[in-house]
Formats: sequence, C-alpha cells, structure tokens
Amino acid sequence: MAHITINQYLQQVYDAIDNHDGSFCAELLSFKHPHVANPRLQLASPEEKCQQLLEPPYDEMVAAHLRCTYAVSNHDFVEAYKFQTLVVQAFLRAFQSHKEENWALPVMFSVTLDLRIFANSAEQQLQKKGKGQPGEMLEKAAEQLMSCFRVCASDNRAGIEDSKKWGMMFLSNQLFKIYFKINKLHLCKPLIRAIDSSNLKNDYSPAQKVTYKYYVGRKAMFDSDFKPAEEFLSYAFHHCHGSSQKNKRMILIYLLPVKMLLGHMPTHQLLRKYDLMQFADVTKSVSEGNLLLLNEALSKHETFFIRCGIFLILEKLKIITYRNLFKKVYLLLRTHQLPLDAFLVSLKMMQLDDVDIDEVQCILANLIYMVSTHTHTHTHTHTHTHTHTHTHTHTHTALLSHLTA
Amino acid sequence: MNRRRAPRRISLSQRRDAPAGGEWRQRKEERWRGQGKAQAREVEEDESCEQHGKEAVPRGTCQTMCPARELQDREVQNRLHRFEMLAGTERVRRPRGDPLRAVKEYTRPAAGKDSTNPTDLRPPAVLLKTVCYLIDDIAASPHLHPWTEVYSFVFDRLRGVKQDMIIQRVSGLNCMAILERTVRFLIYASYRLCGEPLWLYDPRINDTHLQESLSWLLDCYATETGPHPNQEEFQALGLLYNLGSARATQHIMELSGRLRTSPAITLALSINRAFLERNPVRMLRLARRLNFIQGCALHRHLVTCRRDLLLIYSHGYCSRNCRFPLDRLAQLLSLDTSLAAQLCQAYGVDVNQGNQLVFSKAAFTEPGKGKLHCKMYHNIVAEKQRELSVGNIIHGCV
Repeated sequence: MAHITINQYLQQVYDAIDNHDGSFCAELLSFKHPHVANPRLQLASPEEKCQQLLEPPYDEMVAAHLRCTYAVSNHDFVEAYKFQTLVVQAFLRAFQSHKEENWALPVMFSVTLDLRIFANSAEQQLQKKGKGQPGEMLEKAAEQLMSCFRVCASDNRAGIEDSKKWGMMFLSNQLFKIYFKINKLHLCKPLIRAIDSSNLKNDYSPAQKVTYKYYVGRKAMFDSDFKPAEEFLSYAFHHCHGSSQKNKRMILIYLLPVKMLLGHMPTHQLLRKYDLMQFADVTKSVSEGNLLLLNEALSKHETFFIRCGIFLILEKLKIITYRNLFKKVYLLLRTHQLPLDAFLVSLKMMQLDDVDIDEVQCILANLIYMVSTHTHTHTHTHTHTHTHTHTHTHTHTALLSHLTA
Repeated sequence: MNRRRAPRRISLSQRRDAPAGGEWRQRKEERWRGQGKAQAREVEEDESCEQHGKEAVPRGTCQTMCPARELQDREVQNRLHRFEMLAGTERVRRPRGDPLRAVKEYTRPAAGKDSTNPTDLRPPAVLLKTVCYLIDDIAASPHLHPWTEVYSFVFDRLRGVKQDMIIQRVSGLNCMAILERTVRFLIYASYRLCGEPLWLYDPRINDTHLQESLSWLLDCYATETGPHPNQEEFQALGLLYNLGSARATQHIMELSGRLRTSPAITLALSINRAFLERNPVRMLRLARRLNFIQGCALHRHLVTCRRDLLLIYSHGYCSRNCRFPLDRLAQLLSLDTSLAAQLCQAYGVDVNQGNQLVFSKAAFTEPGKGKLHCKMYHNIVAEKQRELSVGNIIHGCV
C-alpha cells in the first residue's frame, strides 16, 4: 500500500466502487490507512487523473482526498480540513444518488471521522497563531455532519437491510463530540429525539450504543436529570468492553458524581482500580457529613474537576453533607426536639464561621422542602417538623425524626 | 449486487486521437493544472483572500458623530430626533440639525445597500468620543426627560456605534472601552427602567443586546493581549447578571486562578453558589456587600431569591401552631416591615393581627401576572446609589 502508483490506487478505488465494497473503499479514503503516507499519491493536482478514471462525483471526492494527503504531509491541517470538506460534500452527492442501498455507509463513517479530526487539528493550529475563533471550524464540520445525518434519517423507502438509517447513531456520536467540545449541548436534543423515535435504536452495534449512552448520560447530568443520567451512564459503564480501561475510567468520572448525588458512595477498591483517587476524600466527607473535609477535597482537586466539567455537580453534594451532619447531631442528642444551636455548633466545628442561626434555619427549611417535594432524593424520608416560635426570644426549635441516608 | 456500469469515460487523449506520447501528455497536464475544478475553486479563494487583505475591510473616515450626508438627508426628511436639533429650531416646520449633537442612527442592513462607504463610517477614536458624548451629555444629563426617551435614543445610537465597529472589524483598546461602557449602560438601564410599561422599555430587547455586548467583550478579554484592568469587574458582572446559569458559572470556573480569586469574582461566585444551593438568607446577606452597578446586575434575581425564601419557609415551617415574627422575616429579606407584609400577601402567606406569619405549604401561591412589582422592592439596590452620578456609574470611575 505504501508503494503503489497513482494508477494502481485509482484502479483499486474504481473497483471498490464498482463492486459496492464499502469497507475497502472506506479504507482507501481513510487517514488510518497506510496509503496516505505514500508520496506517489500525494499530488498537488490530481484532478485530471481522477477525472480520467472515475465518474463524477467520485472523481472530485478522490481528488480532494489526495490533495488532503498532500496537505497533511506538509502538516497544514487548515488546508487538509478544507479539502476534507470537499471530500464529504462530494461523497454526500454520491450517497444521495444511491437509491435503496447503503453499501457506502463505511465510507461515510470514515470521511466524517476524518473531517472532525482535521477540524480539531486545524483549530489548534490557528489558535497557536492567534487567529480564528475557537469552535468556528468545528461548528462548520458539525453542519456538514448534520447534512449527512439528514440524508440518513430521511431514508424511508429502503428495507431495513439497505436502509441508510444505520448511519444515524455513528453520526450522532460524532456530533455529540463536537457539541460537547464547543459547549452547545442544546444542539444534541434533535439528535436524541430522532434516535429515540427510530425503531433501530436497540440494534446498533454495542460500541456505538455505549458511546451514545455515554453522551446522552452526560447531557442528562448537565440538565440535572440525575435518575436518567444514572441509567445511561451505568449502561455505558457495564457494557463498555473490559479491555478499554481508559474508556471505562472516562465513563466513571461522570457516573460517580451522579451516583453520589443519589446516595451511593463508591468503594475504595473501585476508585483505586480506575485511578480515580481524587474522589476518595469527596466520598468520605459526604458520608461522614464532614463539610470541612469536603471543601478541602474540592479545592485540592479543583483543576481536575473543573477540566472534566464536574466541579459544579460535586458542589451539589454539599446539601447531602449538611443532611448527614445534621443527622449525626440528632443521633448524638437523641431527642425529638433539637435546639437549633446544636446545628449551629456543628457547622462552626466545620469552620464555617460566618454562618448564624438564621442560616441554619434556612438550610433546615431547604432540606425539609427538598424532602417534601422529592427533589434530589429517591429514598423514603420521613420528617416531622414542629416549630414553636417566641416573638421575644431568638431561640427556635426544630424536630427531625428518622432521616435516612 | 454487482451492477455493470456504463463504459468508462474515454480519456481526453484518446478522444482527440493524439499520440499517446509522454511529451504531449505532460504539456496537457500543465494546461489542466490551471483548469482543474478544485484548482479553479482554490484560485478564486486566493483572489478573494487577497482582496480581503487589501481592500475588503472598510476603514472609516467620518470625523463627526453623524456623517454629513445622513445629517442632511434626515434634516430634509424631518427625521431628526429632538436631542439632535439646533437649539431654537425645534418648533420650526423643518428643524435644523446640530452637527455637534447629531449622532448616526442604527439602520438595518439591507440587500443592495452599501454600508461600507468610508465617508459614512466613523473610525474607532471617533466612535469612542461618540459613546462618551452619549453618556455625558445625554444619559447623565439632568435636563433631559423622561429617561425612557433618553434610554431609547442612547440605545439606538449605541447600536449604530456597534454596527460601525462590526463593519470595520474593530478590536483592541477602543473596542473594549466602548463595549465596557455599553454593558454598564444597559445594566444600569435594566435597573432604572424596571417596571416601566412595555412600549417604553422592553427588558427582553435590553437583555438581548446586553448579552451580545457582554459576550463580545469577554471574547476580547480572552483573545487580546492584556492587561485588561477592568476584566475582574466585568467577569463578575457577567456572572451576577446571569446568576445560576450553568454556562456562565462554568465559564468563570475556567478563568485563571488569579482572576477567580479576585475579590469581585469571589463575591459573585459565593452569591451564585448560595443561589444554586437555595440559601436565600446567605444570598441576601452577601448581596449587601455589592456595589451599585453590581446590585443593578443582580437585581432581577432578587425576585426569585425572595420567592425561594417564602417557598422553603412555607414548607419548613408548615404547621398550624407555628408563628414566625414578621419583623424577623423583614430583616432577612432586607425590606421594611410593611413591604415585607405586602410581599407575603402577594405569595399567599398569611399575616395575622399580631404581625406574625403563618406558613403553610398549601397556601403558598405564585403571584398573578402583574401583581408583583419588582420596583417596589428595589431598596437594597437603591440605597447603594447614594451620591453616585450616572456619568460616573457608566464610565466606571466610582
């Protein structure tokens, strides 16, 4: 592959197209394949050659691909991105003309993947030179991918085996990666809706489903839908192939905060196995109701948590930590009527010096509100509150019974 | 399925019956090199790029706040604003325009209309002077009434300034100075005109332009080389204005450590945290530490904050035997007793004879549309204004 001539290469492409060999054709157009390193193919203007051997729009597609290999060999990813765009556009024209057949799906997967990767590299190159808006190229790439998605989603005529709909999940996953990178999560919604309403949704390949659920889970997390988030991310974690430690770790980074918010703390073994000891102190502090340790743990690993985008969600653990702390106070005092001062003392022990009785009342009222409206809890909690207020003094008492963890 | 395709396209050399000699092919290839499809496209792109670099970015030459041609046109068509008229000619059938007071208005870009004529565009230095005029002589003027009209005029003319900036791709210190003043003006207006009727002031339109200008300004801070002395102020204002927004919070978290630990941003983050944790007591207490313009940015969230307090207390203190002292609540809400009582009534919280509140989660209701006037409860922001002049507030020299 690394030494064939341009004519031999073009002949192979022609044959692959002629025989509807999508997989081989995909390899011949993929940057993972060794032919891209072949200097004999890296022509500055291969148009004539391609026109001689291939029909439109394949001639344009392959010519642009070869120019892309030339650009990549010069490390010019901005050029490479431009040409890859032409590849995808030409491909889409061909794809649309394939009535009731989907042999070219592997080609689509290959060229769209390369488009996204080049968009990333091109942006990085521009950033280094101080030019270009961040996210601009990725957004344009996303528009291209959306065009492909629409072609796939609107294939209503072909039977299931020849349907282009099989391309939908792969494209969704590529688009999710872009939308998450450029921080435009709301654009995920139409994709999720389209896949959800498709009758193929459970029949895609396991790898595609894992990636899909991972991103849908993260989106749910972002929307504070923690129960669905837990479902999706758990699925992704359990179905992710055991050999991809790295992927399992990535899923866990998002699954852990969700599970902790729902009251399930991870074991040390799990954290050690996946090299996620940053969560160890967080876990410990939440179960113990130790606000001081929680604040320290969050600030110690701040950079890591912020980079992963989970810092803000971990902060929500504070309310559970308050609850566990107050539960300890209740257990210590063993009465049904607890003076608010007791809670205040516990908070002062956690070095929260600027908290006063009014805030304690507010925190307690909020906990009760969350319980009675079932916000952020999924276990049963029984609370009875009787408050007896004097207009003259400032002491108030609250009763809390049986707060379960 | 193996479909036999149509016969392969005959190569050009075969068609033309030319000898298949290498020499001929080489010459042909050279010719084709200039005419290949992709090649042609690339050449077009190159040419437009060249033009782009040399002429395409317009450079304004107009040294007055309003281009002479526009002033003349508007004068003839009787479309001058009363703030632009030559003193003494206001009542005349066709008032004269004052070139020292006329400001280029915003016009919607239209197909076929050339908005890039240099004589109609004001260079960045002139744009900054225009903005200062709008602030000092219009927005901060004690003589121009009503302020809703002042706001409309300044809002429109600032939009015109922004348009000139966009067309000329202005960046750098002038751009940031203009945007900073624009953002402060719009934030101040959102507070001052709160509660005005919709046909005089639309908070949503104000919000759209505020967010756009703020977004552009924050982009400038991120991409242009520093130092940016006002960045701390505006990052904090951005968070306070967009309190509770996950996107705004994440943006702050991704700033450099030095910025994040600056006093204004730390305070804004604490208020944001208290808001997200639904701790209105803490939020209102921290809000007392804000300065006036920060209070203006925050003020629309105070409604939610106070509502949250009444809501969670309605649940937490929901008991027939329970009585909560009104003046205690008033203190927590940073309101005087009578205003606190009015607020409670708006939310269905019962106030009894002895000025005590009876909380009940069943009784809590959202106030009907138009029943709650945010403006009545502005005191927590109003008291920060004290001796500050409008001009100083918007220029940022407090």
